[in-house]
Amino acid sequence: MTKNQYQFKVWDHSSITPITSQSIGSSHFFYHLSYKCNFVSFVLVYNIIADYFCIVNLKTGILVSVILLLGHTLYGQDCKLSIRGKIIHLENNEPIEAAYIWVAEAEEGAVSDQNGNFTIKNLCSGSYILTIQYLGHKTITDTFNLETNTYSKTYRMEEESLGLQSVEVHGHRDAVQTTTAVSALYGENLLESRGENLGESLKRISGVSTFSTGNSIAKPVIHGMHSNRIMIMNNGIRLEGQQWGAEHAPEIDPFLADEITVVKGAETVRYGPEAMGGVILVNPAPLPTTKFSKTSLNLIGASNGGMGNLNLVHVGGLEKVKGLGYRIQGSAKRSGNIKSPGYFQDNTGLSELNLSSSLGYSSSKLGVEAYYSLFHSELGILNDSHTGNLSDLENIIENGRPFSDGEFTYEILNPKQRVTHHLAKLKSHYHISESWKINFQYGFQLNHRQEFDKRRGDLNEKASLDLELFTNTLDLYVNHTHKNELSGTWGVNLIQQANSNIPGTGVTPLIPNYDMINVGMYAMEKYSKGPLEVEAGIRYDFRNVNTARYIDNELRTADLDYQNFSAFLGGLYHISPDLTFNSNFGSAWRPPNVNELFSEGLHHGAAAVEIGDPNLESEKSLKWINELQYDGNKTHLEFTAYLNPIQDYIYLNPTGETYVSLRGTFNVYEYLQANALFYGFDFAGSYEFTDKFSGYVKGSIVQAKNTGDDSYFPFIPSNRMDWGVSYSFAKDSDPKTNKITLSNVLVAKQNREPELDIAAAPPAYALFNLAYTKQINIGENKMNLGLQVQNVFNTEYKDYMNRFRYFTYDMGRNVLLKINYEF
Amino acid sequence: MNTKNKLYLLALALVAFSISSCESEDPVPENDGEVITDVTLMFQEIDDTGAAVGSPFEFTASDSEGIEVGGAPTVETVMLSKGKTYQMSIEVYNSIENEDITEEIQEEGDEHQFYFLGSAFTSSPFLSYIYDDEGSELIGLKGIVSVQQSPGFSTAEMRVILRHDLDKNYPGADNPNFTDYAQAGGESDLDITFPVVVE
Repeated sequence: MTKNQYQFKVWDHSSITPITSQSIGSSHFFYHLSYKCNFVSFVLVYNIIADYFCIVNLKTGILVSVILLLGHTLYGQDCKLSIRGKIIHLENNEPIEAAYIWVAEAEEGAVSDQNGNFTIKNLCSGSYILTIQYLGHKTITDTFNLETNTYSKTYRMEEESLGLQSVEVHGHRDAVQTTTAVSALYGENLLESRGENLGESLKRISGVSTFSTGNSIAKPVIHGMHSNRIMIMNNGIRLEGQQWGAEHAPEIDPFLADEITVVKGAETVRYGPEAMGGVILVNPAPLPTTKFSKTSLNLIGASNGGMGNLNLVHVGGLEKVKGLGYRIQGSAKRSGNIKSPGYFQDNTGLSELNLSSSLGYSSSKLGVEAYYSLFHSELGILNDSHTGNLSDLENIIENGRPFSDGEFTYEILNPKQRVTHHLAKLKSHYHISESWKINFQYGFQLNHRQEFDKRRGDLNEKASLDLELFTNTLDLYVNHTHKNELSGTWGVNLIQQANSNIPGTGVTPLIPNYDMINVGMYAMEKYSKGPLEVEAGIRYDFRNVNTARYIDNELRTADLDYQNFSAFLGGLYHISPDLTFNSNFGSAWRPPNVNELFSEGLHHGAAAVEIGDPNLESEKSLKWINELQYDGNKTHLEFTAYLNPIQDYIYLNPTGETYVSLRGTFNVYEYLQANALFYGFDFAGSYEFTDKFSGYVKGSIVQAKNTGDDSYFPFIPSNRMDWGVSYSFAKDSDPKTNKITLSNVLVAKQNREPELDIAAAPPAYALFNLAYTKQINIGENKMNLGLQVQNVFNTEYKDYMNRFRYFTYDMGRNVLLKINYEF
Repeated sequence: MNTKNKLYLLALALVAFSISSCESEDPVPENDGEVITDVTLMFQEIDDTGAAVGSPFEFTASDSEGIEVGGAPTVETVMLSKGKTYQMSIEVYNSIENEDITEEIQEEGDEHQFYFLGSAFTSSPFLSYIYDDEGSELIGLKGIVSVQQSPGFSTAEMRVILRHDLDKNYPGADNPNFTDYAQAGGESDLDITFPVVVE
């Protein structure tokens, strides 16, 4: 960073709020991004919402003076009229925070908030000239007549040409512009979660929990939905692995992201089929477009499992080629057997190696980005979870924990998984005119999943499941934004997939080889006026799936078509600058997955024979989600409530029958469809008692019923909440982060469980965690230190959403040291 | 045509190529290598000196489908004579792959062991079993079965369990009638119940 840097604290929200929603910025651990024309459209998403702003190398001094006016107090007048407005980018409709609005005649000003909203109060009736200024944008001058209190207008700011140079902005941006409920994990909270997998990290967001298989496999659950009912986007590309499997973790390294966003609404229109329950956006920081260099190193160690984790990211911008930037990131992780209170879980080690890199070019009209990410993981599956038959399973359930105490080792033996996921993308946009932009995005993915079972002799060297999945995705869409209130996106989306079983496993494949093609067409329009935003969209999808597999030397094929219309309507209203309400009503669908259609075989972990049904129909759902957010000086509150009826919900149902073989007896499960009703609410709040003391609370309740026969579905998260208090040692003279947090997680027993489960839901539990974080400056560089103690009292517990609750208690105490150094 | 347009065309061509070149492989029939389809208990009567008496006879449990969903296994009734002693050897076979699994079990003797449970050994015992394997490992591929001279019952059940990956040093694991076999860890490769009749 150059020397003439100014740092200015715009406002400070409660820094303890672990997660803020949609845009509440509390990012003390900020990142740098170079700001420039058209850079914004480079990533789908862009919204500068920051607690801190840095302005570097200003050729014009506008912003400095703008910021100095921030503290300008409004003095009282008799006149009580006010004006309200919203400021957004002309190009992409994203709100502009910290634009300065000035009414010269009245000597009144305001600064737009993180949603781009502003209010100027205490105006008398009359004629005024309004001036809006924002760095790098053309100043807007508007004359208006104020007679009543209802004046409200949306202003679209146009970016100036490339004349303005290298302004750096630190802050948080929204990953998606939507009127539905969105929560993000970034900054300090993301830093605290480093070292955890994606599912575990996202537990910090209220309404998100995990569906896990032991301690190393965790799938995120949004409002009770997981696997194929939610979608994960890796830098804009829908992640396509074998996500149908309960024990198949998402193939993504959270270290590649500088922000992870959860969209809690039905987003089929925007993202395509399967985005029923929500979408998780894992996004790296935008690339620099000017000369820039920053390296960030993370070192993490954990006592439990002897985990070590290293991550290195380098971001650079070239001086010679203007607009060219790159990022390269790599992480490695190794851990051994996990310890539960009193014993080691045998064969629960993990080894991971991940890479990601991008190269981007951005000019005033054209933006191009190439991106590649590699995820490679090898993980052991708890030895005792591999049961031979029902009698084995019943024996270990009765025992409640593994039969042996195990010992610590890093060695990973069978049963184990080995997964490699490559993802490459090419993205480009071109500005046809001031208001029209054309976008192109192509993604290629190769997922190779191998699962090794405990077998006899040489068979141990062979994977018993060996799948190779190729996915091509192509997006072509146009954005239009005009000076009036309307903007929108129209596009086509193509997904093509080829799944092959690699021969030689010595096991009849669990799922067939298949080719899938999905064509979608969509249009979305958004209308913004003052504090109101209304958005609607429609989409049509067609999907064809062609499958082939040999069972008992007999070729079985199927050719299946699915199609669906989906639509949504959403709105957002800023009741006051502090209070926002949004509501979204969306339909979504999901064609049945190949495993639900064609499974036929033994599942060792569950001692179950699972039988698919090729006649299953698509699931169709409606999700109505409402969110109320309050963001005051000391208080932050958010409530989310939703109603989600699903027609033809597909679930795995125990038939109550058993299948007898020479190996013993197995339960038989079949895929059925029923109408379901999901509803529930999430809440999150924080409060600053004093400068030093603050507290937070958050929680969620999900209810899911089979409305057909008034029963419950398995593996729906139980009621949970999480609260904590923080004490900050930071002083005015040394405002760097320095605080200690004590938190308590409370998880209720799942009383809404189906009658036929192989083991009853485990009892409620409470865990205590401690965290200390401190920021140190070393010269011009920054170091963040974190010391965390999870499960302080080494509590013995089982979680209903962990499939290994049948076999073992969860992880015991864990002490973690996390170091982050930026240079 | 300017360079930009050329670039776009190139990108589109690339995409078209990738999409057309990406199809799933033709499926290949997979023979289930892990499956056990036939388990044969071979009995050879022996006298006090261990010498064979008469000709051997056998009883089989089989399930041609293996582990796949399908027909239930057929299990023959084991017929033995009161007061006699037999050498019992077990043969395990995969008829799908035409593979004799007995040898593999013998080779991996350190991680396999048969247990013999059921009423014939426990609640109304009239059989007793002693491991008699070749080599030092207790496996149960060969053993000595003795029938009581005057048992209280003439019918019972014999449950044959093959454990894999167990802790052979677990206390009690060396007992062929170890009812708490699960405590020694591992999993069941076989679990078959034969009806037994003594005459």
